[in-house]
Amino acid sequence: MTPEPASGATLAYLLFILLAILSAGLFFAIGAIRRLRHERDELINQKEVIFGFIHDVGDVFAHSENINLERMLDRVLFYAVRTTRASAGAIYLFDKAEDLFRARAVSGMFPPLSGSVEASLATAVSKSEAVEQLVRSQRVARGEGLIGETADFGTPILIEDAARDPRVPAYQLDFLKIHSILLVPMRFLQKILGVIVVVNRVDARPFIQADLNLLQALADQASVSVHYAGLRDSLDEKQRIDHDLNVARQIQTALLPRAIPRIAGLEMAAFNHSAQEIGGDYYDFIKIDDEHLGIAIADVSGKGIVGAIMMSISRSVLRAQAIMSTDPSEVLKGVNRVMFEDIAEDMFVSMLYMVLNTRTRELHVARAGHERPILVQPHDPHCQIIDSAGVALGMADRDAFESLLTETSVVLSPGDTVVAYTDGVTEALNAQHEEWGVDRLFETVHEAAPDGAHAVIHTVQQRLDRFVGGIAQYDDMTLLALQVAQDYNSAL
Amino acid sequence: MRECEIKREERDDLDIVRLDGALDSHSFPRLESTLNSLRDSQRHRVILDCTGLDYISSASLGALIGFARRAREHQGDLRLVNLSPKIYNIVELLGFHKILEIHKNIDEALAKFGA
Repeated sequence: MTPEPASGATLAYLLFILLAILSAGLFFAIGAIRRLRHERDELINQKEVIFGFIHDVGDVFAHSENINLERMLDRVLFYAVRTTRASAGAIYLFDKAEDLFRARAVSGMFPPLSGSVEASLATAVSKSEAVEQLVRSQRVARGEGLIGETADFGTPILIEDAARDPRVPAYQLDFLKIHSILLVPMRFLQKILGVIVVVNRVDARPFIQADLNLLQALADQASVSVHYAGLRDSLDEKQRIDHDLNVARQIQTALLPRAIPRIAGLEMAAFNHSAQEIGGDYYDFIKIDDEHLGIAIADVSGKGIVGAIMMSISRSVLRAQAIMSTDPSEVLKGVNRVMFEDIAEDMFVSMLYMVLNTRTRELHVARAGHERPILVQPHDPHCQIIDSAGVALGMADRDAFESLLTETSVVLSPGDTVVAYTDGVTEALNAQHEEWGVDRLFETVHEAAPDGAHAVIHTVQQRLDRFVGGIAQYDDMTLLALQVAQDYNSAL
Repeated sequence: MRECEIKREERDDLDIVRLDGALDSHSFPRLESTLNSLRDSQRHRVILDCTGLDYISSASLGALIGFARRAREHQGDLRLVNLSPKIYNIVELLGFHKILEIHKNIDEALAKFGA
């Protein structure tokens, strides 16, 4: 039996259903494409912003030893607004004498964050001047409003939809309206220096988490210089020089990792001893992703404040580059590209950067003019050197640096120990002006390695102390060690 | 450490600068002023004789590379000669043997300058 042909009405009905389904699909597809396109644009945007940011950080702090607090704050705010694509912003600093916060830098039409102000503004001749004056004249008590909250808790606040948040003042005047607001604290050591605030993205979208991250990174960097510039403003020349070394030491301490990350199957330890003049050593552990750990050690050529600020720049640039690749030579190339453009022509940074795959135990090593790391393997009567070629950062242009840099890798076995150090260790001098030397370091590392990474650090420290016998050292000494656990496989 | 003595000798259109002692933070300003005066007087062809050099700080090396870079912009150069193994090791570790011109002795450097 042949099926009964469908009647005209049924056909039209079916066609209608089909069209409805198709157009609904199309509608959703267009929505999805739009959303994807928007996400893609946002990503491209973010990438550009991050590159711009790395450049800016270098710029903010170049020659920062010569500028006063007000100019430094203007500069920081300029980059804060640019980085987050905000239409206005302000920096509030804590005033110790008065025990309150005041806006010390204002950019764009930044609306006051408290008080009813519209009546006076409606009649002002120059609205932007009137608003800025008002913002600058307001005092914010501790714990008051969003500024006080950010400072009190020391954590950033991101409000995407400000109109629905009772903490944000609601203005009738269009140019004062706050659609989205972002506040980050400026911290130095345990102290809150102030708060950076930005409002309303220029593209009318709300601020996002990435904006917050960048702004906080900028604030962290800026805090070091702001702290110093603030000190300098309030001290005379003589006192300033006395403070220099102290500040450099504080910066260095603030930049060193407070804790070494704990990773199953790995023992890691490090020590840093600053010399009188502060040599500009630092080390860092960077968790790149779940199975890659970046390990850096560096020595900046400048000393004192300049060295400390250089160190701070190097650390930021490295941290920004490190998350983009698990290939240490690529990371160092990226760092050099930024540093070569932005640092004084006679300054450089020697840096060893290694990436450990914590699952496969593969260690990739790239060396920009730094001391070669040492490898000690159980039952090997000698220390081995992990060698690769490369020039210190900031001295060679892109082509030269990249063509001279090589990378090497080694698969670590359980019990293997890797030690990295700065020249302050091997060049430590005793009263007879003898150097401690590479041979003594190697011997000590080899002897202590079977007892673990902490034993290596501890023993080197002990023997160095005994050797120099209380003689003040000219250069910083930094040493770090990592060891793959003997029972590595069971630790996973 | 011995403070570094720096002696400058002009030979036609090039200069030989002799170092004796340790180029550390104490001697660094002296090195800087020597390099500045060379630069100011447009003397861009320089041989640095390191025979008596016991130590060189990173700041000093930075200053030398800065000088070499500028000198090259003026068709000149800075050539290092008579490096002790210890000094060479410091230069090599930083990878600077690839950016600085290093020669065995003054004659070799003179020949490279075409003098």
